[in-house]
Amino acid sequence: MAHLCLFSLLVLSLVIKTQTLTPSHHLTTSDVARLQAVLSQPLTDLKSAYYSVVGLSKLGIFVADADETCRFIKSNLDPSSVESLFYAAEASQALSGCEISVSNDTRDLLLATVSEDSTASQIHQSVSALSSLGLPLASQEVVSALKARISKEDNVLAIVLALQTASRLSQQAELGDILEEIEDLAARLDDLGGLYLQFEEGLEATALFVSAAYALSDHVDMEPPLKEDQVIQLVNSIFSKKSWDSLSEAFSVASAAAALSNNRFHVPVIVSAQGPAAVSHSHPFLQLQVTDVLCQPLTSATVLVESASAVTSKSAILSQAPFTLRDGVFELNFMDNQPASGYYQFSVVIAGDSRFVANHVELKVKVSTRVAINNMDLSVVDKDQSIGPKTTRVEYPTKAKASFMADSHQNFAMTFQLVDETTGVELTPHQTFVRLHNQKTGQEVVFVAEPDSKNLYKFELDTAERKTEFDSISGTYALYLMVGDATLENPILWNVADVVLKFLDEEAPSTIQAKTLYTPKPEIQHLFREPEKKPPTVVSNTFTALVLSPFLLLLILWFKLGANISNFTLSPSTILFHIGHAAMLGLMYVYWTHLNMFQTLKYLAIIGSLTFLAGNRMLAQKAVKRLERK
Amino acid sequence: MSNSVFSVLSRFVEEYRSSTPNKLKMIDAYLLYILLTGVFQFLYCVLVGTFPFNSFLSGFIACVGSFILAVCLRIQINPQNKGDFLTVSPERAFADFLFAHTVLHLVVVNFVG
Repeated sequence: MAHLCLFSLLVLSLVIKTQTLTPSHHLTTSDVARLQAVLSQPLTDLKSAYYSVVGLSKLGIFVADADETCRFIKSNLDPSSVESLFYAAEASQALSGCEISVSNDTRDLLLATVSEDSTASQIHQSVSALSSLGLPLASQEVVSALKARISKEDNVLAIVLALQTASRLSQQAELGDILEEIEDLAARLDDLGGLYLQFEEGLEATALFVSAAYALSDHVDMEPPLKEDQVIQLVNSIFSKKSWDSLSEAFSVASAAAALSNNRFHVPVIVSAQGPAAVSHSHPFLQLQVTDVLCQPLTSATVLVESASAVTSKSAILSQAPFTLRDGVFELNFMDNQPASGYYQFSVVIAGDSRFVANHVELKVKVSTRVAINNMDLSVVDKDQSIGPKTTRVEYPTKAKASFMADSHQNFAMTFQLVDETTGVELTPHQTFVRLHNQKTGQEVVFVAEPDSKNLYKFELDTAERKTEFDSISGTYALYLMVGDATLENPILWNVADVVLKFLDEEAPSTIQAKTLYTPKPEIQHLFREPEKKPPTVVSNTFTALVLSPFLLLLILWFKLGANISNFTLSPSTILFHIGHAAMLGLMYVYWTHLNMFQTLKYLAIIGSLTFLAGNRMLAQKAVKRLERK
Repeated sequence: MSNSVFSVLSRFVEEYRSSTPNKLKMIDAYLLYILLTGVFQFLYCVLVGTFPFNSFLSGFIACVGSFILAVCLRIQINPQNKGDFLTVSPERAFADFLFAHTVLHLVVVNFVG
């Protein structure tokens, strides 16, 4: 039984979604085993004991050493803490023969916690502890306290705990208002892509909501206001995570799984094909596993094929055919209906219980077959049809004894038929290739053989036309026929014959150039920008001298004209002016060699202002002197 | 025809030699120097090539600018033009000449690279 639930998410992904959703995530046997393992970890404290014991009991597993656990619980119990009492009471109830003695003080403490002033979590813990310990409680008081807490603490977890608490109260209490909270909470779920429904608080909150909602609905015997699609979306959210971070998360998933597999209203059905959904003559049975969310088979169900039709032709093959139950697996012998090979769309219904949710499933089933090659005729035909064709028939899997010669005046032709081995029906598989392989050079050329209207495959090789594919290399080519398809169980690779091809004009290179696509290419050397061609230094120097020569001319002319510095007064302003002027010219040179504009302007401002002041002074003195002379 | 041109030219040269003050002749010598420098730069560019073009431009502009400034100075200093430049004394003209040259040199040195 353990290997019945196989990892079949891939198959379920083939399920086409119609108006109703089908679960895309569910727990497989290995997942359930992992959940058990997480919950079976050694006990560290009372809280972990509660999660482990109660979680495992929800999965239907009872702790091995109940006495040991009971002793552990009793020793770790703190009677003054409501939380500790809650864990101990719930855990001891799940174990058989574990009784916790309760004093009056403890009972009073628990009853006192039921009030508007305690948090919803505290009320939940005290009510659950009282109920598990078999102590009486006033349901109406609890209801009013819960209602007050719900309006004060509006968060999801508080309301979920309120729902869980209400399911422990007596059925006479007025639980109507609390029942309405299920609908309000369901409205707060986030729809993710139409596939998932979960609270933004996370997986744990969603799982606890599911278990609380169904616990309360079962308690008051009223169907929860969740639509079928919503239930499936919740299933997808809760069971999409296959490894759990904490014990509390694992516990919440276990409670949700237990609630969904065993409540009075909604039981989601998981249908998966065992192995690939494919049938053939050797495996004529289509086998389906039908389980609940905890991977337990639903043996009371009846599985029926509503309709089965071929995908390509849409012709119906089956209608209302039942599956038979054998060893916990539902099977149907599809090959009895003699289906042609291909894909079929199955619409399967699981009936038998009105609680079943997502019980319409669409499956795509593949029918495979074996192919046989008939009437393989090889011939060499002259182009001008002067000589009649000689056809040689070859039987699969033998090879033609003689090799065929074809040069540019002749065509090589091949015809054959592909049929279903058992039924003799003609087939047109997806891949029918003719491969010519030159053994010496390793070159291969592949052509496609096309069927004509009567499903007879033809292949013609015109040597003159096709010489480019062959690179005009003459030689012996081995001819292979390759047949393949998804629905064929026996793909074929058949060396049919050897063909000697002769091409005219040996344009082929003597050695075959291996494709040099992937060999390293020659390295590119970076070419730096070449400096512009400069004239020879001689020319430059000559012209420099030439350009500077007029200065000599100037000096000569000035000398001839009688320029002198006889009027040079040695007053400080004159000296300063000349020094400043020389400094400015020097600054120009330094600007050319070292500085940038900003630095130059800075220095120029300093020197310039000095020179200006001095020059002003000097020129004013000169002007005075000139006017005096006049 | 050439005779009259020659006679005009010689007359001009005579007048120039005799009536121009020495100061102006010095400035004229300076102008000739600037002109020749510019011509030689242009000749180089025509003969050898325009590389580096920015240097040629800056040198040529320097020559042209200096020529213009010197011409301005000559005009302003010429005593015959005194009527036109009542507010500008020769010293002031010289100071302007120096200032303008500073700016010209700044630009030229920036551009010569």
